[in-house]
Amino acid sequence: MRRAAILICLMMFSGLVANRTLAVLQTHATTASLITTTSPQVRLPGTIYVSQQGSIYAISGSTVRRLTLPQGGDWTQPRVLPDDSLLVIRRFDEYSDLYHVSASGHVISRLTSDSQASTNRTLQLDHWILWPAIGPDGTSVYFATDSPKPAPSQSYEVDFSLWSAPLGTAFTIGDNGVSGATRWSVPDLFTGGDIQPVPLPDGSVLYSSYANTGKGTVVTRLGLQTTPNSPMRSLTTLHQDCGAPAVAANGVTVAMVCTNSGQTADLEVATLAGNALGPLRVVAANCLCNSPSWSSSGDSLLYMNASDPNGNFGLWYIANAGGAHPGAPRRVTDSSVDLDATSAAAWSSR
Amino acid sequence: MRCRRASLKTGRQRVTRGSFVAAGFLVSIVTGVLLYFLPAIQVALRDTGQVNTSLGGTVQLKPVSASENLSSNSPFTLLLLGSDSDSKFNGDFLTQSMILTRVDPATRHVTMLSIPRDLWVRLCTGGNGKIDQAFLHGGAQCAIQTVERDLKVHIDYYAWIGLQGLVSVLNELGGVNVIANNPVMDDYYPADLSGGNPYDYQRILVLPGAQHMSGTLALEYVRARHDDAYGDFARSQRQQQILIALRAKTKHVSIADIPSLATSLGSNFQTDMSIGQVSGLLPVAGSVPLGSITQVVLLPPYTSTAYVGGQDALMPNWSLIRPEVAKYFPVAA
Repeated sequence: MRRAAILICLMMFSGLVANRTLAVLQTHATTASLITTTSPQVRLPGTIYVSQQGSIYAISGSTVRRLTLPQGGDWTQPRVLPDDSLLVIRRFDEYSDLYHVSASGHVISRLTSDSQASTNRTLQLDHWILWPAIGPDGTSVYFATDSPKPAPSQSYEVDFSLWSAPLGTAFTIGDNGVSGATRWSVPDLFTGGDIQPVPLPDGSVLYSSYANTGKGTVVTRLGLQTTPNSPMRSLTTLHQDCGAPAVAANGVTVAMVCTNSGQTADLEVATLAGNALGPLRVVAANCLCNSPSWSSSGDSLLYMNASDPNGNFGLWYIANAGGAHPGAPRRVTDSSVDLDATSAAAWSSR
Repeated sequence: MRCRRASLKTGRQRVTRGSFVAAGFLVSIVTGVLLYFLPAIQVALRDTGQVNTSLGGTVQLKPVSASENLSSNSPFTLLLLGSDSDSKFNGDFLTQSMILTRVDPATRHVTMLSIPRDLWVRLCTGGNGKIDQAFLHGGAQCAIQTVERDLKVHIDYYAWIGLQGLVSVLNELGGVNVIANNPVMDDYYPADLSGGNPYDYQRILVLPGAQHMSGTLALEYVRARHDDAYGDFARSQRQQQILIALRAKTKHVSIADIPSLATSLGSNFQTDMSIGQVSGLLPVAGSVPLGSITQVVLLPPYTSTAYVGGQDALMPNWSLIRPEVAKYFPVAA
């Protein structure tokens, strides 16, 4: 009797084992690790700011710390000012704002208030502000915003255009433009518009400009403007589909991401000579890469890349990317870390 | 002699007892396995292997002749259907997405042709209308019948998925990595999946470039259309892009994943393929190289805009469409 009971228990246990074995074989969608729970694979000089799951993290050597920013929204796209404070975007579901914060995350000032819908309940009056960039003299900010746009119910049009404003004072984004700011570009409508401005030392601005090819596709090219509202000069072709420009400290070495109208991308580097771009050199081929940024010394390149089996986007690094013999791409963060690939890393020398 | 007989009897008893014990273990293991696959079995019974029914006796569907295609490595044609399945529609679904797909397992080649939802065609019911209404009037069978008759193709299988099902499956697979073509913005995006008023709007923005998309973000990417130079055509291209990204995910899916995927789909999935055929399709999809995928979208001059029956529609240029379709899909008998 006792033996029978033991046998029955063993039988039931074998069923349970079969069931759980299958459960173990299941391919679980892995949850990305927080960057603070991992160690950088490559120790780079200075401080690198990245965004993950709505927070900003600072990587200094082998340590990683989270900036103590206010709760709510997703903090993204940090940029380092000359005094080591930061400009950061705080993005909510239907609008975003630009903040000036200290290196520890203390809010120094809020530069925009883009939630108009909270008072009049017309959500189309809300605005996006994204891709802040600091002017060459450190006293102005360049950015992309979806203003101006038609009044609600007049049109579906909503596209980014480029603006610049003095740093230090708040500015207001309305439906007819940005008060206290200078408009730089007029976008190709219904394409997404002009984004990712990079102010150059000579006062011109390099950026990604989306264009309707007239053949059923929308692609991007690098555009260059010497003054606000001057004609845009295309530095790359429509077929190359190049965007996300980053300019090294020398003001002439440009990194960009080009898809060549395919489903993967190449990270490419070229030299800007006057109003033209020299030959493009591929420094990372056939990748799911995005958001390049240069070291403050101007010789090393950081970018986001998905390369591990889980498809996590990590921070990658190429030494001497602008030189004749660039180093091999190396992953900086652990493979379990999944960073915000649409937020370029900001690299401070300190 | 008596002793030998007793020994034989004991031996027989032992064999019998051993058989019972082995059978008990087998039953227990099979029960454990069946319980594991129970969600998939429920979905298989409810949503897969759908019986083809005719509409009022007027439409006679061809028998699904290619039912062995997946096992025989023969090419087959699959009609993918996608519907806004939120509470606005109360079960009466249009198909916002129709992608005619040709899969050749032997050569690992896939062709995807997006059929514009506003294409003005003769429906299976006899009248004219937008092709997205075929599913509304007669379910998958009417959609198949309409596509077969108008595009002159033969369809072996269909698969239908609702919005919530797409979001859940993408989340279950851990999202997808996509290079978003351009900033996708929409100030009038339907806020119909959050449980509130299904007629509300929300603002959405999908940033450009390579990124990891959750199910919700991927849905926004494939569904937004208002601020787009190519409207529904651009949306079709993005839908194909997500399918290609999903292909990379299927490489890591095993048979043990079928129950959780089935649970996540819930009632948002229907197909006339068997569950065995669906699971057989996964490794095929995962093995297709990126360069072996042909994408077709019926832009002008294949279609032209028109105002018909009090609504905006796309008029087909059959003299251009049918030869193009015949390049990739077998012509209906």
